[in-house]
Amino acid sequence: MNVIQVENAVKQYKNGVQALSGCSLYVKSGEIFSLLGQNGAGKSTLIRILTTYLRPTSGTITVLGKDICKEAVKIRSQIACAAQQTSIDTYLSLEENMLFQSQLYKIPETEAKKRMEQLIADFGLNQYKKYPVSSYSGGVKRRLDIALTMMSNPKLLFLDEPTVGMDLQSRIAMWNMLKKIRDDFGTTIFLTTHYLEEADHLSNTICIMKDGKDVIQGSPLKLRSFLRQNTLQIQFRSDMEAKTYLSSLQEHFPQKAICIKNTAVTMITDESRVDMEQVIRFLLEQHIPFYGIEIAQPTLEDVFLWMNR
Amino acid sequence: MSVFVLLQRNIKWRFHNAFTIIVTILQPVLWLVLYSSVAGQTMRHTGIENYTAFLLPGLVVLVSFSACSSGGIMNYMRKSDGSFYRILIAPISRSSIVLGQLLEAVLCTFLEVGILGLLSLLFSVRIAADIVGIFFIVVLIFFLAFFLAALSYSISLILPNEVIYETVMNAIVLPIFFLSTALFPVDDVHGILGSIINFNPFTHAINALRTLILYGRIERNDLLFVFAIFILMGGISFGWALHRLKREMSL
Repeated sequence: MNVIQVENAVKQYKNGVQALSGCSLYVKSGEIFSLLGQNGAGKSTLIRILTTYLRPTSGTITVLGKDICKEAVKIRSQIACAAQQTSIDTYLSLEENMLFQSQLYKIPETEAKKRMEQLIADFGLNQYKKYPVSSYSGGVKRRLDIALTMMSNPKLLFLDEPTVGMDLQSRIAMWNMLKKIRDDFGTTIFLTTHYLEEADHLSNTICIMKDGKDVIQGSPLKLRSFLRQNTLQIQFRSDMEAKTYLSSLQEHFPQKAICIKNTAVTMITDESRVDMEQVIRFLLEQHIPFYGIEIAQPTLEDVFLWMNR
Repeated sequence: MSVFVLLQRNIKWRFHNAFTIIVTILQPVLWLVLYSSVAGQTMRHTGIENYTAFLLPGLVVLVSFSACSSGGIMNYMRKSDGSFYRILIAPISRSSIVLGQLLEAVLCTFLEVGILGLLSLLFSVRIAADIVGIFFIVVLIFFLAFFLAALSYSISLILPNEVIYETVMNAIVLPIFFLSTALFPVDDVHGILGSIINFNPFTHAINALRTLILYGRIERNDLLFVFAIFILMGGISFGWALHRLKREMSL
């Protein structure tokens, strides 16, 4: 069953900016769905529409089987969202924050207290209870923010860049927490992220957006297999050097899809051995100082770069 | 129910940001303590025995303005810390969101008017109103503050930042304050200035408060007129605040 169905959604702001231009996507119940896209791709606008904050200009959008334009009020009680910026009230204690959230969603007090204790334990927040919320680190604030959203036991949880600015250890802890939310609470998670490894590691389904439209949607495996071809990766000393020689390679191999990935120039190839020979010959003839060349399996990052090239 | 949940949270915000109480009451207190002492001596020849007492109703309006304006600041702070968005996607009615914030500003007004009233007692101000009169004073201040809070709320959702908001609010309050009976009796003011002062609804609110506080008299018709004006203006400004909040979601 699809908990979210977006068909041909268009959003044009009153100032004329077109944020979504015919976006379509589907989210299945009980999965972690990741939305990938560059800045300005329309991810935040889409999340704001799906959380009933903004109205689409046109298109059909249903969330939990209800029309987003006609039944926003009914949808609100079954969803929750942790925005990119933590929204906890720093003048309330940890427990007051959680109870306030439960009151907003009209959860009976006894049930709310029980749920709060469970979430405090599940999210490892016990040791922070006695300290003022304003003194928490960014990672703990983020954890509390997500714990808050779980107070209403939402069927659908939206997370806008949940691990942005976190160190690796905190990110891994957050990933485990999100999997726990999906597996133990049965909550469908819709998240946006910039981190490809995060989407790869966490998601059941990934959707890549570009210029307000969905470009491709599928499982991480499916997306990787979308590029069945191998890639040739030509390593340079620096990304500047890679950028310098990118145009020469593009000019000489105009039929090939070529883009930059860190300090390497990546080329999609059908016949990797033949292409490799041609590329090496070209590089040597032109005296291009490359570091090395290899045939590699495409990563999710390659798919992303390929889609956004 | 949701109104009280939000009201409780807003009250906690106010006490956490206690400087907003100090900043908003500071100017009216300075008027009460410094201005009334200095101007009081000059005003004696006009027949006003206790100028501080004369000034008090005007300062009640001024402190209401200041306290309610700071309610608008809450919107800017909430927008920047993300909680504005969290409340708007919660399953609560939009009118509860507005009411929760307006009632907090009204309560803050009562707190500041109370402080101002207590301070005025030190300047030999005697409240002549009996219990019924005090009831009418409270009701009048409620309607006054409710209107001002809704006005501030709406304006804060139109203007882009706190600095412009503060400037605009000051530009509104000063002409209203000076073109009323807050500082002087205006019996001898005629012509266009006299008409403006008479047209200013705050003139009538200040006069009604003055009659109640200083003379303990309940001028029924005057009071009904002031209540009618402020109920009407409060209703319109509440509708405007609600409209502005809904527009936040239809960008």
